[in-house]
Amino acid sequence: MRARPDTRGRAGRRPFYDLLMNVDRRVIFLVIAAAVALPLVFPLHLPVQISPEARAYFDEIERLQPGDQIILSFDYEPDTMAELDPMSYATLRHAFRKRLSVIALTTYAGGPGIALRVLGETAAEFGQQYGTDYVFLGYNPDYSATILRMGESIQATFPTDHFGTPADSLALLQGIDRYADIELLVSISASALTEYWIIWAGGNYGQRIIAGNSAIQAVLIYPYYDSRQLSGFLGGLKGAAEYEKLIEHEGAGLRGMDAQSMAHLLIVCFIVLGNVGLVMQKLRARGDAAGRAGSAG
Amino acid sequence: MRKTGPVVFGFLVGMLMLIQYFTPNPWIQARYNNVLDWKQVVFGITLMLGVLSLVLFHWRKIEQRQKGWGYSVITIAGLIFMIAAAVWRGQNAGPYLWMFDHVQSPMQSTMFALLAFYVASASYRAFRARGFHAALLLTAGVIVMLGRVPLGEMLGFHAGERYYSLATISDWVLNYPNVAAKRGVLIGVQLGIVATAIKIILGIERTYLGKGA
Amino acid sequence: MGGELTGWFNADRLPAALATLIFGAVLIYFIRAARQGRPLYIRRIAGLEAVDEAVGRATEMGRPILYSPGLDPMEEVATVASINILAQVARRAGQYETRLIMPNRDAIVMTVAQEVVREAYTEVGRPDLYDSHDIYYTTQSQFGYAAAVCGTMMREKPATNFFIGHFYAESLVLAETGNATGAIQIAGTDSDSQLPFFICACDYTLIGEELYAGSVYLSREPLLLGALKGQDVAKLILLAVLLIGTLLALAGIDIRPILGIGAASGGGG
Repeated sequence: MRARPDTRGRAGRRPFYDLLMNVDRRVIFLVIAAAVALPLVFPLHLPVQISPEARAYFDEIERLQPGDQIILSFDYEPDTMAELDPMSYATLRHAFRKRLSVIALTTYAGGPGIALRVLGETAAEFGQQYGTDYVFLGYNPDYSATILRMGESIQATFPTDHFGTPADSLALLQGIDRYADIELLVSISASALTEYWIIWAGGNYGQRIIAGNSAIQAVLIYPYYDSRQLSGFLGGLKGAAEYEKLIEHEGAGLRGMDAQSMAHLLIVCFIVLGNVGLVMQKLRARGDAAGRAGSAG
Repeated sequence: MRKTGPVVFGFLVGMLMLIQYFTPNPWIQARYNNVLDWKQVVFGITLMLGVLSLVLFHWRKIEQRQKGWGYSVITIAGLIFMIAAAVWRGQNAGPYLWMFDHVQSPMQSTMFALLAFYVASASYRAFRARGFHAALLLTAGVIVMLGRVPLGEMLGFHAGERYYSLATISDWVLNYPNVAAKRGVLIGVQLGIVATAIKIILGIERTYLGKGA
Repeated sequence: MGGELTGWFNADRLPAALATLIFGAVLIYFIRAARQGRPLYIRRIAGLEAVDEAVGRATEMGRPILYSPGLDPMEEVATVASINILAQVARRAGQYETRLIMPNRDAIVMTVAQEVVREAYTEVGRPDLYDSHDIYYTTQSQFGYAAAVCGTMMREKPATNFFIGHFYAESLVLAETGNATGAIQIAGTDSDSQLPFFICACDYTLIGEELYAGSVYLSREPLLLGALKGQDVAKLILLAVLLIGTLLALAGIDIRPILGIGAASGGGG
């Protein structure tokens, strides 16, 4: 089923098109590594255009007033933090700059470490106080029960914050107990968690939601944005770069655009190479067939 | 009873969860909240079950000196170390957090980063214009790959006041054909989920009891 | 949704209630039809036709089969479908005396899978072939699981890989590694984001509902067949409603006030 045809020519040498169609994996890996690494050292500063989805994400936070509550859910673990951390940092910078009240939580066991780091750094940058300007409710097992239960009572779902402080003693959570009390929910996710927030929190309780997703996941989010079940979203590192440009703070998103551009360009070049080889192979086969037909006639 | 009990229980809880969606009755909503609370307890127990399975699996490997038992020693040692570190200095500081930031995070990120290389080699191998559908896949893939980075935005032209680039075509592909296809698959998958849920509630689907189809 | 609701029925959810009743009725009708022995047709699914061939290949080469049920827990539909397909694959593996290796990310899925495989071997008269060490738990970590499966593929060199279930970003790592070992690969997932990777890297791919249809297709059990037909008819009904709605919208006729449906709820802009 996987036998490769013997493409050696009369002289026993591999035809050129065979080389084009069968570049060694390791060569591809080395070229991609160089394409990603070099622009990080020698930046190109390629310009970034803003997409409507990223603009909508920005506008949703921008329309809020100081003191409005938002929930920020860190729905990812260290494996995807390279793509999603820039979104988290930018969102918190935007929120803290507008003096919004941030209720952070995570639905992943590996999320607290990330949340503590991002919250700690951005809160220190803006002089935000824990308990009054932001809180971290921590990790709750079973995301489905968590999302659904929060619709009935946030404090029953998280009786204490991540540090063990009773939720009802935190100044920020006074009078805040349901989605109806929250202006906006932000899900930063590389998985279907965003869809679950939309279906359960948005569909059941009418919660307004925006999301930051990895590039793979973002492709699935378009239908929800199109039907306005999602008010805005960021797609991949490019989305993070667009958002950083909007809040006028260069971060890892903008810095990564050159490397991503070069990597994509090289992948396309390899694809073109493979197809050039395919065309050459077909032309060669056609020529051989014509030659055999001619000699037979 | 061993097989009937879970099926009956599944039916009762399944019907409760179905009915609660359509009724605001306080008693039923209270039972719904009870189920959600118990669901979290069960989930926590499954996490413990997972750890127990992990320890038993690797302990057996060490006891029997099976191939690769050295790695099992490292696994159990790592597990004990992280539990001890969390108990000693907590999760928010000390060796536990240090190990998370300097060992686990880089290791997990590295594994995910491998995808960049695998995507390159898989794309190179798979995107060949052998037929009409393959050529369509190839074309869409190239357009979206370039259109989603700043480079694709630079490859364009002005037509009057508007600027058209690969990014414009990429956005159109993502917002129209992609949305249509995704909606179709989404509806189909969700109907499949509803059908399977109804089968489980009615006891037709009993795979969770360990009986195959 | 604003304000406290009272009474026994939430009128806002009437369309969902009607849809549920219609869907349930159609499903039950076809399940009863299947019970009564009515023949029900389902189309050919290439990936499932290849299961016998794939197991046979592993037997001829004297190499094992690797089966991954995905990363989701037992309560997820894709995992339930995967375990159903596993039963069929295990029966064939038992008949051909081919070793079946199954690394798991979830302890409960592992427990269920062990039970299913043991029963499958017993049904074909080969309970001696069952080895619980071949169906094992690896780790809860996503990429830890991917690394474990890749390590198994590189060491054991299975002739056939099955990736049936719900997968996440590790799908391409698994599929590419399997490809590098020269195995024939059959994938099936309802995870939209991973389908392109499986399509590129595997020989056969079951897309979305084909995964759910898989166990029905292989076992031909009447009850499951009836449920599958019911699902298809319900989809046709939904398609008709969508078409009518689209035509009405194009004609500028808004029937939402008549049906008592408001503007889009949730995070709408």
